[in-house]
Amino acid sequence: MPGRETGADEVVVDGRRRDRHTAEGGRSDAGGCVPSTRTVSAVVSPGFGARRRWAVVAGLVALLAGLPSLIGAIPASDRDVPAADLRSAVLASDMVAFSGYAESAGGLALPVTDQLASVADLFSDRTLMRVWWRGPADNRVDVVTPTGEISTHRDATGTWTWEYESATATRGALGPLELPAPLDLLPSALGRRLLSEAADGELSRIGARRVAGRDGLGLRLSPVDQASSVSRVDVWVDGDSGVPLQVQVYGEDARRPALDTRFLDLELAAPGPEVTAFSPPAGAVVREDRGVDLVEAAQQVTGPGLPLTLAGLDRRPMEGLPRGLGVYGRGVTLLAVVPAPGRLTEELRRALGASPGAVVDELGVRASIGPLGLMVVDRPGGRAYVLTGSVTLDALAAAAAEMPELGGRP
Amino acid sequence: MILVELRKMFRRPRTWATITVLNSLPVLVAVLLVLTDLAPRPGEGPPFLSAVLSNGALYPLAALAIVLPLFLPIAVAVVAGDSVAGEAQAGTLRYLLARPVGRTRLLVAKLVAVLAFVLVTVVVVAAVGYVVGTTMFDAQPVAGGTSVSGTSLTPDEISGRTLLAIGYVAVSMLGVAAFALFFSTLTDSPLGATMGALAVLVASSLLFTLDAASPIAPYLPTRYWLAFVDLFRDPILWRDITRGLALQGVYVGVLLVAAWANFTTKDVTS
Repeated sequence: MPGRETGADEVVVDGRRRDRHTAEGGRSDAGGCVPSTRTVSAVVSPGFGARRRWAVVAGLVALLAGLPSLIGAIPASDRDVPAADLRSAVLASDMVAFSGYAESAGGLALPVTDQLASVADLFSDRTLMRVWWRGPADNRVDVVTPTGEISTHRDATGTWTWEYESATATRGALGPLELPAPLDLLPSALGRRLLSEAADGELSRIGARRVAGRDGLGLRLSPVDQASSVSRVDVWVDGDSGVPLQVQVYGEDARRPALDTRFLDLELAAPGPEVTAFSPPAGAVVREDRGVDLVEAAQQVTGPGLPLTLAGLDRRPMEGLPRGLGVYGRGVTLLAVVPAPGRLTEELRRALGASPGAVVDELGVRASIGPLGLMVVDRPGGRAYVLTGSVTLDALAAAAAEMPELGGRP
Repeated sequence: MILVELRKMFRRPRTWATITVLNSLPVLVAVLLVLTDLAPRPGEGPPFLSAVLSNGALYPLAALAIVLPLFLPIAVAVVAGDSVAGEAQAGTLRYLLARPVGRTRLLVAKLVAVLAFVLVTVVVVAAVGYVVGTTMFDAQPVAGGTSVSGTSLTPDEISGRTLLAIGYVAVSMLGVAAFALFFSTLTDSPLGATMGALAVLVASSLLFTLDAASPIAPYLPTRYWLAFVDLFRDPILWRDITRGLALQGVYVGVLLVAAWANFTTKDVTS
């Protein structure tokens, strides 16, 4: 390092000496000055010292490192939209066409059974999704993994699910009851679903935030139901289109969302029909999905059927549901009662009993995983039932106590 | 200057020895696949490897995916780490700098030589992969192939996207090369420079798998390496690819400036 710096110093010293020399000599004519200024400027001004060069490096690194947070700090502009109007805008947004890229992160480690592993993954993992939305009956959602993808193409009569790594295309029909799919985790779909039955009194406005480069207007839903295990839901809505940009569901822990799903990119333009269409490629394994066997089990139920209220929650009238299966509650407070096939019950009971905070008593086994409550009710001689939903453990126990004895083949 | 460095690089037997060793692994994998007919289970093993049994034209990609996580970066780090420190260790750096060329130009020439090495290596791996794939597996030259999203791709689209993937993998290696080159200006030991760059890589790969490190994940040099798979989705997912290119650009820029800051007035004693 010292090499050139010393050189520069010498020149400076040399320059000063000359200056002094000219001053002493009293001959400060132009000719004497020119070489001295030239020598000094020529060496000193482009002669970056090592320190100055490192300062350039440090400045460059600081600039580049600070750039993302600078961009992230661009404030979102809020608008004066009442909460009720914002909710209406969200509910009307299902025909808004868009394409985008979304990320959902769930902290719910569901007790895994083999049959429901894909559902458990959805809620416990970080899921990256590409979506092309032309309408509720014409869309496509790709779950992107580093080495492949699972794409679900929805058309008017059903769905095609393509799994790259096993080269399998599965045709699924539309049933009255479907297990949660990646589509349900999209901010747009989840936000619409959660807000669909909210009462105006439960809603409030909470400022604005930038999501996917757009202004997201905040809407907070605080459920009033005693039985609810969800403390609040924050939805950030695109002011122009009403499409929810980010949805955060909070359980008891008010600081960290139990489920956080947001768009990373969003383009409000209709994607072409060729993007959402699907036909199985040559060489693919084509299968037919026979639906969930939960419904099958529910069809075998005999006896009095399920009551009209459970734990203070009203039964929801649902078309096409078998009598042994019931969904109770409203808005974000939901409780599902599902007769379970024996195999699933055994697996689920074991997994549930092993999860932290599980309660085992004469009513059955119950545990809560974040805001989700799960309970296996199994009475000797009767049918085994699974109760699950966004309800507290107390509400689950109350519901189990109110369950009538149900007959049927176990 | 650049030509001199390039000639020096490609006249060295060890350059070609490295490339040969690098190619032996995908060839070995291909031979084993053909002999046993056991493709990796879906979701396991390197991307595209499970697909090559039905379409050998995808083998260049599988070959790149095989060498990408470890072997390719090691080769690049060895060559780039050797570039300045190797001269210093051999005692030739002094004489090199005695020539009337600036040190900045020397750095740029070294970087260009490393870039050429990266490009040649990636292209050779892909070419050998193509030859191996089309001779040992069933190729589907007429029917084209299937994209990751399940749509059909014409042979032209496949070859175009393969070329893009080759380019992307080459660019992905630039970050490693820049780290090794920077460390190479810090030390007189080529081994130290290579190991430094590899340490950065291992740290980056480790942090990438850690959920707690997700806030810094977008800045890790290995973060977007696998994004070349995105070229085979339909429509192409450009998001990670553009980010990967920009990130490598930033690393190369910053490290080159740092190398220049250190090297321009460094005391060359050997």
